Amino acid sequence: MAPKPMPNGSAEAPIEVTSLPPVVGINFGDSFASIAEGLAECIANEDGERQIACAVSFFGEEMYIGNQASHQLVKNSQNTITGFRNLLGLKFSEIPQSAQSGKSAPVIQHPDIPDEPAYKVNILQPAPAPIPQSNHNSTFNTPLASHVATPRSEPIPATRILTVSEVATMFLASLLESAEDFLGRKVTGAVITVPTSFSPAQKAALEKAATDAGVHVLQLLEEAGAAVATTTSPLWSQTLPADRTQLVVDLGASSLALTLMSLRDGLAHILESSSSPSITADLIDAHLIKFFAADFTKKTKIPLKICPSDSVPDARAEAKLKLAIEHTKRTISASPGAATVSVESLKDGVDYTGSINRMRFDLVVRNVYASVSSSIIDLLTTAGVDAHDIDEIVYVGGSTCLPGLDEHIITTVGFREEVETPFERGTVVGGGVGDPTTVLARGCAVQAALIASIPDDEAHREIREAYEHGAGASNGVQATSRTVGVLLPGGDSSLGGVWVPVVHKETALPARRVVQFDVELGEQSKAVSLEVWEVKETIRIEKVALPKPELDEGEEEEDEEEEEEEIKHREIEKLTLLGVVKFDARLGIKPAGQALWGQKGAPKVQNKGRAKVITSTLEVSFIVDTTGGLKVEVKEVGEPSASGTLTVPAP
Amino acid sequence: MATVQVLPITVPPLPDRYVAPVASSSSRLTSPHPSGHRTLLPVGPAHLNYLRLALHHAHDFSSFDQHLNAERAAKEKLLAAEGDAEDDLGVGDEKESPELLALDPKEWKKQDHYAVLGLSKFRYTATADQIKIAHRKKVLKHHPDKKASTTTTEVPSTILGLNTNQNTNDDAFFKCIQKAHEVLTNAEKRRQFDSVDPEFLEMEEDLTGITAAEFKNKDFFKTFAPIFTLYERFSRIQPVPGLGGIDASKEEVEGFYDFWYNFDSWRSFEWWDKEVNEGSDSRDDKRYTEKKNKSERARRKKEDIAKLRGLVDLTLSLDPRIKMIKQKEKEAREAKKAAGAGPGKPGKKTKAQEEEEKKLKEEEDRKKEEEEKVARAEAKKQKAAAANAAKKARRQQRAAEEAA
Repeated sequence: MAPKPMPNGSAEAPIEVTSLPPVVGINFGDSFASIAEGLAECIANEDGERQIACAVSFFGEEMYIGNQASHQLVKNSQNTITGFRNLLGLKFSEIPQSAQSGKSAPVIQHPDIPDEPAYKVNILQPAPAPIPQSNHNSTFNTPLASHVATPRSEPIPATRILTVSEVATMFLASLLESAEDFLGRKVTGAVITVPTSFSPAQKAALEKAATDAGVHVLQLLEEAGAAVATTTSPLWSQTLPADRTQLVVDLGASSLALTLMSLRDGLAHILESSSSPSITADLIDAHLIKFFAADFTKKTKIPLKICPSDSVPDARAEAKLKLAIEHTKRTISASPGAATVSVESLKDGVDYTGSINRMRFDLVVRNVYASVSSSIIDLLTTAGVDAHDIDEIVYVGGSTCLPGLDEHIITTVGFREEVETPFERGTVVGGGVGDPTTVLARGCAVQAALIASIPDDEAHREIREAYEHGAGASNGVQATSRTVGVLLPGGDSSLGGVWVPVVHKETALPARRVVQFDVELGEQSKAVSLEVWEVKETIRIEKVALPKPELDEGEEEEDEEEEEEEIKHREIEKLTLLGVVKFDARLGIKPAGQALWGQKGAPKVQNKGRAKVITSTLEVSFIVDTTGGLKVEVKEVGEPSASGTLTVPAP
Repeated sequence: MATVQVLPITVPPLPDRYVAPVASSSSRLTSPHPSGHRTLLPVGPAHLNYLRLALHHAHDFSSFDQHLNAERAAKEKLLAAEGDAEDDLGVGDEKESPELLALDPKEWKKQDHYAVLGLSKFRYTATADQIKIAHRKKVLKHHPDKKASTTTTEVPSTILGLNTNQNTNDDAFFKCIQKAHEVLTNAEKRRQFDSVDPEFLEMEEDLTGITAAEFKNKDFFKTFAPIFTLYERFSRIQPVPGLGGIDASKEEVEGFYDFWYNFDSWRSFEWWDKEVNEGSDSRDDKRYTEKKNKSERARRKKEDIAKLRGLVDLTLSLDPRIKMIKQKEKEAREAKKAAGAGPGKPGKKTKAQEEEEKKLKEEEDRKKEEEEKVARAEAKKQKAAAANAAKKARRQQRAAEEAA
């Protein structure tokens, strides 16, 4: 046998340059998937796509996966499988008929396995090889066979039945291959997203598909969790407070998922979540396709009835337009100018080129924006949270890249003006960390790296397992229902002092918070007093009459109702005094004493223009245990320090 | 450990008429939401810490803190044990004197390259890695890009003429660094520089100025050992035998002098070559300078060899061990002589015997001569007889013919 030809690059693999564990995060959506590696950067597949369409297509002897497969929807829709993720782990009888779109391969009952959904695709099978020559020499003297190999006959048409799980395995395997090509190493583990709505059976099916694809699942992470992993990582933002209330808007191709979360020093729990399958990014597509189809008819006088189309030529035109508007949407998201769409031979051999600007675009898909806003309002009402209390909005999914959606949500729902969004920080475009298409994959990668860093020994086995099998029991926690903090008397605010919140409401227990701040010391007494209060945060709505628009001189004055604008203020209402910590500061006694200068934490003498002000730094530590007992420790920073404590027993 | 949140606020002092309110003893926190009401998302480092707190420490912060501290200490220990990642091979950080910083890159031939890179404590022993590290350190510190920003912050006003001067000079020192790096990373150039290393020259002057007259009453080993260790560096053959101590064996001492009399040095003097005049592209000029340089180099090398040889000669002449060895040899010889004087006779022939033998030999010779003489005379006689007989016969024949 001739030696196997070596590929050109037969050199030894280069030495390992990275110490990062070969783990990846996979965002496995229903229509698009993305992969990210250890440094939480999104990986492009071999086609250069970061957003990889969840589609598998069979054409003759070939199999296409990803965006190439979605192009097959135009001509070869019967052999193209899409939307398989949501069917994972479901029985055939459980699948709603509405899942059958008719635009891709139909879901059928598996012929052999009862109640198992499957896809039937027509493929071409390579013809079986001709009968191999027998090795032993026959005793009969037969004429010598020709040495030329018998040419294989034409491939024969065949049908192939694929279960949903098999399709998912194929797809995940191709994702992993892309990741391995990128990393140059075998991927040993992955964190994969699951929708919050997945049942345990569906999760098990997904895990099995991933294992079959050859990757160890480190954790199945809920989509909201993946968003948290990204938003709590230092990459996201350095300036956002550690305690904040976050709203995650995930507008996917098949549903809108909203999650209201309480982020407390990196720990997150869901306050309320909702999922509305009727509001989808596909609706945006549908509106756009309709708009462009009407435009086409107007320009060419060729009737084009689509959305939904029944006749085959129109269905093909629709599929073509649907592929073309992907680009249009991206352009609209990325740049303020007009975006074009062009389709060759849209119908009857006539090409179409059109364009749309942002304003028109927002008008066309306004219904979708409005329904997103109204479901956010519904969610906030159910959660009993005022829109004013939301500190940050995080967008997930390609459709939320649209700036129009962000504007619409912020104005209609009534968020604070200073609410943090990725748009405001300008991290959406240009592959920034706030890019809604990569948020989930990045989060998974961050989480995968974290889990991979847990040492693999007996002491940590329990923790590893908790991640692998979903630690449902240990994650149920108690959370505080009111904010606790210290009030430092002085000043002339309505509260009678300076309010420093320490443990916010909705903080998971046990909780420990340490804050540090400077206090001024009086000239006579060095007493420091801290009142520990539990407070209620309210929102005061102030109605302000808008200034009347100045009318031009010629116009008559009309009787109009005075326009009013609601201005919301965050207010604090004292509920319960839990105790007072009072002590005399030791470090501030000598004003600008020479001996004190060298000491660490010595009082700083500040010249504020008037008299010299002596300050001392206080460190306040709050510990709330699981039963609700509170322990407060206050001490001066430095030596010799004065301190005071307060203990409030559990209710 | 809990992270400390530092608030950028300063609280005004307590009002003078402040009376602390009294909290009722029954005041409690509002009960938290019941357990399980909230479900943590199992994600992020904070959750990992929460899990460890819950599973291993029963929600006790102080025990968790202790554990974390212990873990950190263990990690630090491990790092310290492994800690070669940050090892700078002992290059360290040398103080830069103002003179050093004021070096002119145009005069690079005169600068001390080791001092510029902060390697004065290593000099010719610096390894390639050390040079690399030292260069990196200096570049990080003196790169013009870096300097530009730091000097402007340090000296905000540029009114002083000095300031601009300083700036340009910083750049100059960076050029010096680059030159030093260039020289020291090139093996050939480095040897050239090492040959005339200013520090070496200084030490050479200090140590080797000694003459035999000056040497009096000084400790031989203390004086000469440093000289040879100084020259050691030039040897092509390493390791070099040391001078040794007073108790060195004869072989050692001989080995030492053998080595130094046959010293194979790589020292060369290209560094002091005269540059070809700038601007003159005349080939003749160039050749002339080259020729001069070559002869100068050869002269210096010769001088160097002669100097070293002189030193070795001086050492040899002053070496107490050599004296001791010679002494020992002499003693040994004398001891031998003294031992050999007793039974020395039977080996020698007396004069009388010799004469007798001589006489005997002479007599034998005379006898032989006489015999030969007799033999010669006899042969003559016979010859003459034969000639007579032949004459007689001829005469008889003639007579017969006449008769016939």
